[in-house]
Amino acid sequence: MKHGIKEYCPIRLMAMACLLLLLSSCSHTVQVADDYPTPVGEQIPLSVGIFLSEGFKNYTYREDSEDREEWNISTGKAQKKLFETVLSSMFSNTVSLSQFPQKIPANVEIVIVPEVRELQFTMPRETRVNIFEVWIKYEINAYDPQGEQLANWVITAYGKTPTAFLKTQEQALAQAINIALRDAGATLYTGFEKVPELRAFLSGKLRAASLQEFKVKSRKFE
Amino acid sequence: MLKPVFVSTLIFLSGCTTIVIDEYRRSDGELAMGDSVVILGRRHSSDYETEPDLISCVGSELHNPELGVHIIPEKEFVDIMYPWFEPRTAPMHVRSLDRLLENAGVRERMEAYGVKYIIWIDGSTETTASAGSISCTISTGGAGCFGFGTWDKESDYEASIWDFRDRELSGKLSADAKGTSYMPAIVIPIPLIARVKNNACKGMAAQLQQFLMPLRGASS
Repeated sequence: MKHGIKEYCPIRLMAMACLLLLLSSCSHTVQVADDYPTPVGEQIPLSVGIFLSEGFKNYTYREDSEDREEWNISTGKAQKKLFETVLSSMFSNTVSLSQFPQKIPANVEIVIVPEVRELQFTMPRETRVNIFEVWIKYEINAYDPQGEQLANWVITAYGKTPTAFLKTQEQALAQAINIALRDAGATLYTGFEKVPELRAFLSGKLRAASLQEFKVKSRKFE
Repeated sequence: MLKPVFVSTLIFLSGCTTIVIDEYRRSDGELAMGDSVVILGRRHSSDYETEPDLISCVGSELHNPELGVHIIPEKEFVDIMYPWFEPRTAPMHVRSLDRLLENAGVRERMEAYGVKYIIWIDGSTETTASAGSISCTISTGGAGCFGFGTWDKESDYEASIWDFRDRELSGKLSADAKGTSYMPAIVIPIPLIARVKNNACKGMAAQLQQFLMPLRGASS
């Protein structure tokens, strides 16, 4: 047995090392992590619950099609940071929810649940343009505290990096994803009040608030 | 003795660049004490992107607090104004600034930073042609390269100067630079690089300085 180990182990080890080298040369890993700035603007007077699912917080895109190299692109941490930063500055009050639709605090008026629908990327040799491009499609759901859907809309984010800017494919793709995430934050921030159902919800809330104010004033005059 | 001759020959032989600057001026620059200038790159086109290093090059060439030119770095400005100067949301025309300034937060930050001019630079540097070949070999006796390579680069940039306080276009300037680089290789490759982008940056910065500080530019 001892003799066998001496004789076969180096060959097996070499074969395994070769296999690992071969596999690692075809596999790329991208870990996206960045800090995102806080948006500047007025806050929407709304108390919002934010539920980020485990799938969203740990999202990793795996490219394993036959005509492409293997890519593992992890955007979970970065998109968690982005959505928390943007949504926290958008509303007058935000609460991070660990569960949904259970255990929703009484003061929460809307619960926002984002999900990644799609991530696509192109490499310069595929498009023959010296640019790395990334598209991320998010589906955003807004629910009332009872778990009934109020609105559902899609955000498509785009980011690109010219090849000349960075040294490796991984760096270039990570930068393009960061730009796409910033774009997602910008679209979420500027587009929230343009969603018809949410606009109706907000104007209904404002109407109810002004009616309440009017009633209080009327009572005072009486 | 031979070393300085070799270095000066290399400098003499470095690739040449020609640069043409055109300017259209509607009003002279007027920077007061405490005013700032922002230089931003346009990134909305699908097939090219204004290089961040060109923007920082123009910024660092122009930044001169002693002369009263204070440049806010692009990244810092885009971050403090997030999300209003992202490729998708950035104002494309001067008149769009009015709508942007309806946002009290944006208005306050612009005033706090003393922004007087926003300079948008749009364009890129590209390799337009290349020719030749160089082959290198390594053997037990040593290593060496032999051959000749050449490539042309072209820079095409346009800068639009927006007067933020008066909400008007103060002027435009364009910089077109061309240059050919050579790489002869006899045992070792000798790169004779034409610094096209760098020259475009310096040309634009010099012209922008005259634009922003017309009196000081004339006297210097």
